Amino acid sequence: MPRPMWVGSLSFGLVNVPVVLFSATRDRDVRFHQVRQGTNERIEVHRVAAGTDEEVAWDELARGWETEDGDLVVLTEDDLAAAQPEKTRTVDIDLFVDLAEIDPIFFQQPYWVLPRGEGDGPARAYRLLRDVMEKADQVAIGRIVMRAKEQLVALRVQDGLLSLTTMRFADEIRDPQDSGAIPSEEVEAPTTREVDDAVALIEEMTTDWEPERYEDRHRQRLLALIEEKRREGEVTIPEPEPEPTPQRASKDLLAALEESLARARERKEPAKR
Amino acid sequence: MVARSIWNGTLTFGTVAIPVKLFSATESRGLSFREVRASDGARIQHKRIGVESGEEVAFKELEKAYDTGTGQVILTKEELAAAEGPRPKLIEIEHFVRGELIDPVFYDKPYHLGARDGGAHAYRVLLDALERSGRVGIGRFVLRSREQLVALRPLHGALGLQTMRFADELVPASEMERREPAKDPSDREVRMAGKLVAMLADEWQPEEHRDTYREAVMDLIAAKREGREIAPAPREEEGDDDLLAALEASLDGGKESRKGRKAMPGKGDRKAKGS
Repeated sequence: MPRPMWVGSLSFGLVNVPVVLFSATRDRDVRFHQVRQGTNERIEVHRVAAGTDEEVAWDELARGWETEDGDLVVLTEDDLAAAQPEKTRTVDIDLFVDLAEIDPIFFQQPYWVLPRGEGDGPARAYRLLRDVMEKADQVAIGRIVMRAKEQLVALRVQDGLLSLTTMRFADEIRDPQDSGAIPSEEVEAPTTREVDDAVALIEEMTTDWEPERYEDRHRQRLLALIEEKRREGEVTIPEPEPEPTPQRASKDLLAALEESLARARERKEPAKR
Repeated sequence: MVARSIWNGTLTFGTVAIPVKLFSATESRGLSFREVRASDGARIQHKRIGVESGEEVAFKELEKAYDTGTGQVILTKEELAAAEGPRPKLIEIEHFVRGELIDPVFYDKPYHLGARDGGAHAYRVLLDALERSGRVGIGRFVLRSREQLVALRPLHGALGLQTMRFADELVPASEMERREPAKDPSDREVRMAGKLVAMLADEWQPEEHRDTYREAVMDLIAAKREGREIAPAPREEEGDDDLLAALEASLDGGKESRKGRKAMPGKGDRKAKGS
């Protein structure tokens, strides 16, 4: 089993479920290390006190808060745990909601939740919460403090286990009105025919959701590059393809939609499945 | 204020091409600390040291090496950039799926798309069509030299683009060591717990939940500045094994009286709909 990412309890009414969290994601990125150009010697990163050569070990580190007048306040992990001790160790379930109500934009990091501790008590309390949530088909909303930051969490049942996903607070999500992402109303409105054609094209291009079919091409390309470099001693860098020309006029857009639609239908003809 | 876009390129589906720009849809409101030494608050500096020479190495002298097990292969920055693939400026929508089929566990970092360079009309056509069809576009694009799987859908009146996790980046439940209780919860416990869930059932109102820990840490910082003692966190009380008693007390409203459960800020003035 991997290392637990958090140790604490779920609190549901007055019922306390001692739990551990394990990451539900893993990094599959191709790992590189740093070397010095020319000599190829390996690089190590050392933490030193600024302006000196004194190395600082992991357990000597703390967090520094810079005040507006330039003072530095040092906070240790123990200090931070004392800020809201209950929250640092307990996920308080505040309410239960329907999963479908929560827009996926809120979700961040997923974890698996497992019961912790000796005896039958924790496993039984865990089982009770899992069963009752599964039956009600509800998601529990609570909060957690991890790495000195409070986050909302959604607790739900997946494959017979409780999972916990950290969530963003509403004030951490931007309004596209503020960033200027929403096109101005002055732009020529879509015509019925354009939207009908676009919907038809979207429907033609609709498939099942099969997440396993998507491979990380970045990882594959990197591994291919490494192999090429190892064998040939160099890498051929491909020319980027030219960007396609956008259809700025309405008639060009319609033509592109209809052409794409015709092609998509043709492709579907030799019945896929 | 108009935010700066973080990426410019072209969105394509079929032969339709729409010039777009990308904005981050989130901002972290966590407190940002500096790394310091606990004993004296000295700032920490990261130094890159050559293992053999013991010399400090400048950033521009760094290169990336891959360990093959029998040696190392070095890739220059230009060579690494070749992993971007031939179309780094495109968001290519490959197909569409029914949005409700995608488990939220796949969704990662969200962005908003804006139109640029005469693309606003086509942008609005696509937005309307996605809204009407309830479909989510699945595609690829390169952000910060890394190709991402992305989902395109209407979000807050704009086109939203959210990076997606690959299936093999998710740890399946089967890898977890389950521990089943020797004795199942009793029917009575299940019934009472079910009642408790029903009591706590509510609507999802994201604005009602605010970060209160940030304030607590700010208070702590103020206390430390004034040289006040920080009381250490009390030791954790172990969960009692009497599940039934805890459930009973919870249903009696024991929790409210015990903790003086505070009303959530803004509970009285609910907004009709999320921003």
